Amino acid sequence: MKSLVMGNDAVACGALKAGMTFFAAYPITPASEIMHALAEREGEIAFVHAEDEIASIHMAIGASLAGRKAMTSTSGPGMSLKQEGIGLAHMMEVPLVVVNVQRVGPSTGMPTLPAQGDILQAAHGSHGDYVPIVLYPSSVEECFRFTIEAFNAAEESRSPVILLLDGYVAHLQETVDLDTVTVELKPRTLLPLGEGRRHFTGLLAKDGVPKTKDTGYYREWYARIKAKILDTASRYNFHDYRRNPAADTLLISYGITHRVMTPLAGAYSLFKPVRMYPVLEDELRAAAAEHRKIVVVEMNDGQYRGEVQKVLKRDVLGISILGGTISLKEIREHLRGL
Amino acid sequence: MDYKDYINWDRMPTTWCPGCAIGTVFKQTAFALAEMALPLEGMTVVSGIGCSGRAAGYFNVDSVHAAHGRALPVAEGIKRANPRLKVIVFSGDGDLVGIGGNHLLHAARRDVDLAVICINNSIYGMTGGQTAPTTPTGVKTLTSPHGTPYAPLNIQGIITSNRRHWFARTSTLHVVHLQKVVREAVEWPGFAFIEVMAFCIENYGRRIGFKSGHEMLTQLKKDYKLKAGPEGLLQGHELGVVKNDGQAS
Repeated sequence: MKSLVMGNDAVACGALKAGMTFFAAYPITPASEIMHALAEREGEIAFVHAEDEIASIHMAIGASLAGRKAMTSTSGPGMSLKQEGIGLAHMMEVPLVVVNVQRVGPSTGMPTLPAQGDILQAAHGSHGDYVPIVLYPSSVEECFRFTIEAFNAAEESRSPVILLLDGYVAHLQETVDLDTVTVELKPRTLLPLGEGRRHFTGLLAKDGVPKTKDTGYYREWYARIKAKILDTASRYNFHDYRRNPAADTLLISYGITHRVMTPLAGAYSLFKPVRMYPVLEDELRAAAAEHRKIVVVEMNDGQYRGEVQKVLKRDVLGISILGGTISLKEIREHLRGL
Repeated sequence: MDYKDYINWDRMPTTWCPGCAIGTVFKQTAFALAEMALPLEGMTVVSGIGCSGRAAGYFNVDSVHAAHGRALPVAEGIKRANPRLKVIVFSGDGDLVGIGGNHLLHAARRDVDLAVICINNSIYGMTGGQTAPTTPTGVKTLTSPHGTPYAPLNIQGIITSNRRHWFARTSTLHVVHLQKVVREAVEWPGFAFIEVMAFCIENYGRRIGFKSGHEMLTQLKKDYKLKAGPEGLLQGHELGVVKNDGQAS
């Protein structure tokens, strides 16, 4: 049945659809509606309003190890705190979904105007080398769909998957029929705690035994983890490419920026990555090869543009609509100036 | 069950220094688990970071060695995800009441069904001997070269400020008492916190005039006495259990 749904509510519905039965978070605008919606389901799911962002991600890690699909949600200031847990979950190979509804930063920033400033943080926020899977929906229907896919990718890769939203998409209300969205669910991949003799640790370990002085093993371990996540990610290469045969310029944008730009499809080709990380190398190269000019439009100071440039190894132009408000008029003005 | 069944012998010897107090707590915990005949399946041990934090991996059960200070939230997530699991937290004072202090306040407030064994050695041992929130006033450490001006944290006060509570203080010398309170904590339906008075010879004791772990153990004997009466908070250097099931007015 069609109904009016908000992005954040669609994330909550998607998580329940995916079989999530543990949720812990700390209130923060513009992410709190996810928490509110799931608080209503306490009993069916385990729900904790934790003392802070750090506690909530570690509770989710514990719950995942104990056999439940688990999620936590937050916005930028909380995402900074969650980095410790994200690193731990990568090291211990714990499936998990972390939602970050972006707002203007750094720090408390402009509470709580939307932004897209946490792209690089999503990939590199925790210390050390790791390879995260990051998905970024741009509609209410996609919030639902890609929350489920985030859980699937987390299970397949046994890693924390980040779902990035911006405050606009999170608070966007659209008429959708979520019942028509079908995504096959991946089963749990981890034997729950209490059924084995395993040791999960944040230390580099081989079969539960710390190997903290073994550089050779560290390199071998990293190669395995990276290959595992890249392999999973290859099955989650979500994107949307609208080729305009008359256009010589390719506009790349994501989240709310992409939604604002859809009227430009008549004059330009549009590419929307959903899987932000690992960066969609093949798909971007193929689309870029058909265009003379590549422009990344985003609500930050060129974060994804840098990633695209690294992949394409050619000049990529950028339009930075720094956080706060965004309008098609402003984007058109920038395009004229390029 | 034998206490040996609860120890992961493949991981022995431990990382702990000669003269360290943690091994005693570890072994008495294994004794207590054997006494209760807890099945190895259906339980899990969670630790944070630090010397005591290494204990999780030494138990012969599924275990988690979490990030620094995060043993309690990880344990709470596990317990809420599977309430049938017996969840034991085994960690140090720096981890549980220092960096993890906020989690301690709230896990105790929520009365999560966990047995927490906190080895209080008054120092950050693994990192070389820095002041802990439990270091006695005036003691010189690497980060308090002129003697720490602060009073140690009153853990009993924090735990017992909740209407329903279970708190015990014991020591690595009083092994019979230690084993008894571990058992009682595991059996208590709610948040049970044991402060085990311990010591660190290498990165604490030697700098304040002790020659050996044994000398520090002897000092525990001089300092700590079992509480005589059953009622009221533990005073000064008393060892014992303070509990309230929340029913009494």
